[in-house]
Amino acid sequence: MGTSFESGGQGVQSVVTNGAIGLISQYTLDNGLRLVTAPAATGQVAAVNLWYGVGSRHEVPGRTGFAHLFEHLMFQGSGGVAKGEHFDAIERLGGEINASTSTDRTNYFETVPEHALDLALWLEADRLATLREGMTQEVLDNQRDVVKNERRQRYDNVPYGTAFERILRLGYPEGHPYHHPTIGSMQDLDDADLDYVLSFHKKHYGPDNLVLTVVSNLDPDDVHERVKRYFGAIPARETVAEAPNAALEGLIGGPVRDTVVEQVPAPAVFMGYRVPAYGEREFDVMHLVSAILGYGQGSRLYQRLVVERGMANDDGGSAADVLPFRYTPSLMLVTMIAREGVSGDELETAIREEIAGLADGVTEDELDRARAILERDHLQTLSNPSGLADTIGSCTQLFDDPELASTWPQRWAAISTDDIVACAKRLLAEENLLVVRFDPQETGEGTVEPEPADA
Amino acid sequence: MSILQSRPELGPPQPYTFPKPRHLSVGGGNVIAIDVPGQQYAAVRLVQPTAGAANEPLDRMGVASLTGEVLEDGVHGNSSLAPALEQHGAEWVCRVTWDSFITGVDAPVTRISDAVALFAEAVRAPALRPEDIVRRREQLVERFWLDASVASTLAMRAVGGQLFTGRYGTPLNGGPVQLREVTPEDVAEFHARSMADVAGTLVVVGDLSDVDLEALGTAVFGDAAPAPAAQVTPPEPAAGELPRTVVLDRPGSVQSALILAHRAPSRPEIDLPKADGMSDVLGGMFTSRLNMELRERLGYTYGVGCRFDLRRDSGVFLISTQVEAATTAHSVTRMFAEIDRLRADGPTEGELEAVRESNTVGLPVTYSTARSLASALVETVVHDLPEDHVDRLRAGFERLTADDLTQAARNLLRPSESVVIVAGDAARVEEPLRETGVGPVTVRDPDSLWS
Repeated sequence: MGTSFESGGQGVQSVVTNGAIGLISQYTLDNGLRLVTAPAATGQVAAVNLWYGVGSRHEVPGRTGFAHLFEHLMFQGSGGVAKGEHFDAIERLGGEINASTSTDRTNYFETVPEHALDLALWLEADRLATLREGMTQEVLDNQRDVVKNERRQRYDNVPYGTAFERILRLGYPEGHPYHHPTIGSMQDLDDADLDYVLSFHKKHYGPDNLVLTVVSNLDPDDVHERVKRYFGAIPARETVAEAPNAALEGLIGGPVRDTVVEQVPAPAVFMGYRVPAYGEREFDVMHLVSAILGYGQGSRLYQRLVVERGMANDDGGSAADVLPFRYTPSLMLVTMIAREGVSGDELETAIREEIAGLADGVTEDELDRARAILERDHLQTLSNPSGLADTIGSCTQLFDDPELASTWPQRWAAISTDDIVACAKRLLAEENLLVVRFDPQETGEGTVEPEPADA
Repeated sequence: MSILQSRPELGPPQPYTFPKPRHLSVGGGNVIAIDVPGQQYAAVRLVQPTAGAANEPLDRMGVASLTGEVLEDGVHGNSSLAPALEQHGAEWVCRVTWDSFITGVDAPVTRISDAVALFAEAVRAPALRPEDIVRRREQLVERFWLDASVASTLAMRAVGGQLFTGRYGTPLNGGPVQLREVTPEDVAEFHARSMADVAGTLVVVGDLSDVDLEALGTAVFGDAAPAPAAQVTPPEPAAGELPRTVVLDRPGSVQSALILAHRAPSRPEIDLPKADGMSDVLGGMFTSRLNMELRERLGYTYGVGCRFDLRRDSGVFLISTQVEAATTAHSVTRMFAEIDRLRADGPTEGELEAVRESNTVGLPVTYSTARSLASALVETVVHDLPEDHVDRLRAGFERLTADDLTQAARNLLRPSESVVIVAGDAARVEEPLRETGVGPVTVRDPDSLWS
């Protein structure tokens, strides 16, 4: 039950089309619930995926981490389900079950044997309609402790673990809903109270805020009937919750930087550039830019800094990516860790040279490779029932268009090397740059980090 | 009137049978395939069962893992393989285990011939340029320390050395010091002896309606010879008093990574449904006893689990978690208490039912992807299992009794032979751990573990 920034929904491979795409069915219940169905590539399973339109962007200062803490509480019992019973019921079916929270949504999912679809739907409907009846101070206290340990495990007890929250602090101004990470702060988690939990559920959890996707080989109309049976009588929210204003104009106003000297094994460079929101055409352009620059072993950063110059740690070709923020400008991130004997300054300079080089032009081959690798990832995601359900849920919740799951690659096909260079010139500029740098505690300025490799 | 329906009564699950694989003998190798109509993204795997890390000589520990990395440099060197595969929408797969060397590609079925052709030459005739090998080796050595700076990885890598002497005493990818000694010539020799001319078994899963399996086999096997039988030499245990506690000092750690480990029977020796069923009750599921206690009742951790790590010649049982530093000693106490309780009283009826159901009813979910079907076939090849292995396992779980699980707990859980490994802040956890009384407590500097 983690926090994540993945959003799926990047499009289907042009090399081949998945048999499922094109057979999507859509329904809207009277209470506003949007249901999407698609067939599974293997039989006897039902993948159930819920995208609620609530995430950490709805949090206000002093209440950070709440959407995610709440996600945990959704497993702690409701009107007809005891604490732990949801997990127990799905695990007994040998099913897969989990949830995750990001800035833009909260996602719950389970894949079960086909005969158990009704049980999965019933469990989801029960916590949507009656979570407030199952909530107690005791479970709140317990899950608060669990989430604090999740924060320790993912952020506080790992080297560079605070990089992401530092990046967000530099990328989004104080008070902006994307200024803080989804995991939230320890203080705010401590301050979470039961009344607020109850009001959060009332405010954000209604069928009108839900996209429910079912991938199975059942007749779509049959699935529709079942969903109506379990969810149909749950009333929509009385008022639609407003998200805090996330509008943001222009560039970052950089370069801005945060330099951290602490116990880390090697210097690390994290760079960010503000780019258009997920769904905008220029997001797609920058997605391709990031792949040309730093995704895959054919990317520039891998070829130049890992293979040729031996300056950066071998990350297998995962140095650059774009965060898919839907409701505010996104961030393109570049991350590399220095090799033994390479200083943070040297690595940072080398990365910036490679980024600057994009403005001098990219080749058709580079662009083709970037398209191919993004399409490959997408096709892999669609090739299993739970990934297909998640992608459809994403396209429907964020763009109100499940068919985007199949048409997205056409957006990449239409982008030219000229588009790439124009966007790189304008957006990968110093004025739009943030840098978070980690340097090991023991080293002085400009000296070589003594690695413990021979100890 | 309630807005909700009452809890649905489920009918019986549809009976599930693992898909019957197709077998082909091509040249010196075997092809095993499962046709999944509609699955447009195929999984292809080559199993070379004698090239695993367990057979590495002690002066070349890590040579298999390093070779696995170097294969990514392809036939032209310089990391050329991945970009070539990407053009076909394909992705390279390589997994070196103690018992086997597995390579492969995931690819759209429409491009499977092109992707497999690239794959075959990369496995059979890689460039193996010395400069690429040295670069990959130095990267692996540095990566070792980066990874070990994460508490859970550090603790996990220390398990082998606490339980075994010989090859298993050093992590699978070789210790950082030993790996430095592996030369480009060693890699070339390993590849020539264990991979270049060893045919192995090719696993193919996906929509095979337009796939020529014989041609794929020919492309991958060429005139390579049949794989020899794997050698089995059970390892000796490590010296030292048992039980005992080892603290890997990580000053300032706000959490402790905790592992409780002991030796277990080997894969061929163990009765898998009984062992895994028992492990599920203790810590294999979200609703298992350890998770319910340490996470859902005490709130000490984000999660805890346990499992068997089984090899041809040996096995390990381990519980692993990360807990808030202040709760370290109490977490250890609770782990032992849950082990003792399961050994004494066995499972409840509800737990037995959950284990039976979750390992039988859910098989369509487990095998809903090409990758998971391919993994099941790979396992049958590596451990020489019958092709209906999954169905036999299912039957084994269906037959389980409470007494089976109780006996498994008594025979397979060995608290008095355990080593507790703690990657955490010694200044905070050492004294409380002494008070828990799990044998002698020693504090080690992590940097000294692999020198």
